[in-house]
Amino acid sequence: MDPKVKLELERLRADDPLGRSEDPFADFREVLLLGLEHRFRYRHSLGKSSRFFLALEEGVLLATRCERCGRVWLPPRPVCPNDLQVTRWTELSGKGTLESWTLCPRAPHYARTGEPYLLAYVALEGVSTLFLHQLRGVGPDALQHGMELHAVFGNEPVDHPLERFWFEPLEL
Amino acid sequence: MDDVVVLGCGLSPFRSSRFDGSIRDWVAEAVLAALADSGLEHQQIDQSLMAYESDHLAGQIGQGVIWHDTLGLTPRPTARIEGCGATGGLALRSAFAYLRAGLSRCLLVVGAERVGKSVSTATAGEIFAMSSDTDWEFPVGGHFTAYYALLMREHMRRYGTTEEQLALVSVKNHGNARYHPLAQKPKELTVDEVLASPLIASPYKLLDCSLLSDGAAAVILANRSWAQANVPRFSERPVVALTGSGCATDYARAGDRPRDALAHFTAKRLAGEAAYAMAGISEPLEEIDVAEVYDSYTGAELMAYEALGFCPPGASGPLSEEGVFSLQGELPVNPSGGLLGFGAAAGATGVAQAVEITAQLRGEADPRRQVAGAKRGLSDCHAGTCTVAAVHIFERKDI
Repeated sequence: MDPKVKLELERLRADDPLGRSEDPFADFREVLLLGLEHRFRYRHSLGKSSRFFLALEEGVLLATRCERCGRVWLPPRPVCPNDLQVTRWTELSGKGTLESWTLCPRAPHYARTGEPYLLAYVALEGVSTLFLHQLRGVGPDALQHGMELHAVFGNEPVDHPLERFWFEPLEL
Repeated sequence: MDDVVVLGCGLSPFRSSRFDGSIRDWVAEAVLAALADSGLEHQQIDQSLMAYESDHLAGQIGQGVIWHDTLGLTPRPTARIEGCGATGGLALRSAFAYLRAGLSRCLLVVGAERVGKSVSTATAGEIFAMSSDTDWEFPVGGHFTAYYALLMREHMRRYGTTEEQLALVSVKNHGNARYHPLAQKPKELTVDEVLASPLIASPYKLLDCSLLSDGAAAVILANRSWAQANVPRFSERPVVALTGSGCATDYARAGDRPRDALAHFTAKRLAGEAAYAMAGISEPLEEIDVAEVYDSYTGAELMAYEALGFCPPGASGPLSEEGVFSLQGELPVNPSGGLLGFGAAAGATGVAQAVEITAQLRGEADPRRQVAGAKRGLSDCHAGTCTVAAVHIFERKDI
């Protein structure tokens, strides 16, 4: 490999994937691969959803209620998609029921979670939508549709504010 | 109104890696094949539409114009079309609109994506997960197999759909791919092999999941009157027309959808109804001869049967067991092998579906996967967990 090039290089012979007896691209079968990397850093605003994340510091779950249609949205919607009215924050009990779940033996590398882990749709008390989060403190065999859950807040340091809480069964 | 007709189709092989070429090279392969199929010169094309999902996967922003000039199509107009997994279908729909509006008379649609081994499987998963909500779904460890699994769990609870019924879709589509020379994963599988493959997100195992592919597809479309005047041998060949186009949307996070709709692809149902209305179809199972549907996961194919009215809600599993959707069945679905067996290259997928349906309606598919006497076909793709759905109807309409 060319010592004057700093990027990772790989040279290979790539045959015609169609295996044609007369390869129209016979002149082009020597291939060079480069190891390329891009890194981007964002100052990402959570915008009008920010108060939800700020309230997590106090161990409180908030959602947004539309005063006109009564729908309660979580994730929050500063503008209700039903009627485009500006919503108001409302405090939740943190209790809910299990709507659907999936067991993942391996976590994606961007997820800072133990393995295996459970993801669930939770029907939170007073909320019109289903909320996606992790389910902990229970194995997949004990799960039942409709079982009662509650939000649990952790004390361990986390990367993303959404990881400040998760769901666990209310009683086992 | 002047029919919109398919003049030429081309595919690159779909592979887990195409290091022998760059994405521009695959695009060129597909388009050269489409031009050869059509008998046209590239200068006869007056507009291109470039379908690709991800700038991240490509490591290149503005690919569309690069492909366009690679194909010698400057100074003609071009546009990039994007709608995640629905990208190729949206490009077909846009082509239909351009041709009907008189903005173009002969148009090239190209779909391509680099999803193979240029990045690790983990990185591909991360990039696709970035098409879910990066504030709310991604940070809790969300990924697409899990999102689809959450919908399927509800389908299983509500209708008693089984993991064996899911596995049958994988067996069928991998099996069909054996009869497509450009397919990525032709394989004779058993239900037990699918069930024994590594768990990704219950109920989905590895062999329930679509492939990660490098691939490109191209379709040349035109108004019939232009084709009659400009295409050599036009009247001598079977003519395939695009007779229906439907598109609909749903909330991007499935949790925001009506709770009783969790096990259904509502946007696909609405897109299908719109396409059927345009094409004059009232009994899809009887009136459609062959279909390519978006089998991102085995259960997504079952949910598609229901959404597209091939069967009532909840009936897809049992009908699958009866072989209704196999090559020898009443309505063969994914004869190409679909995303599970042929390959999944996001932006290319919806276009590759049109290539397969056209081949089927012309009677030019490999005889082992050719649906005998197929006269009307459907293509269907969607974004996310059916956030954007695009359904098209193609028909044999010879002169």
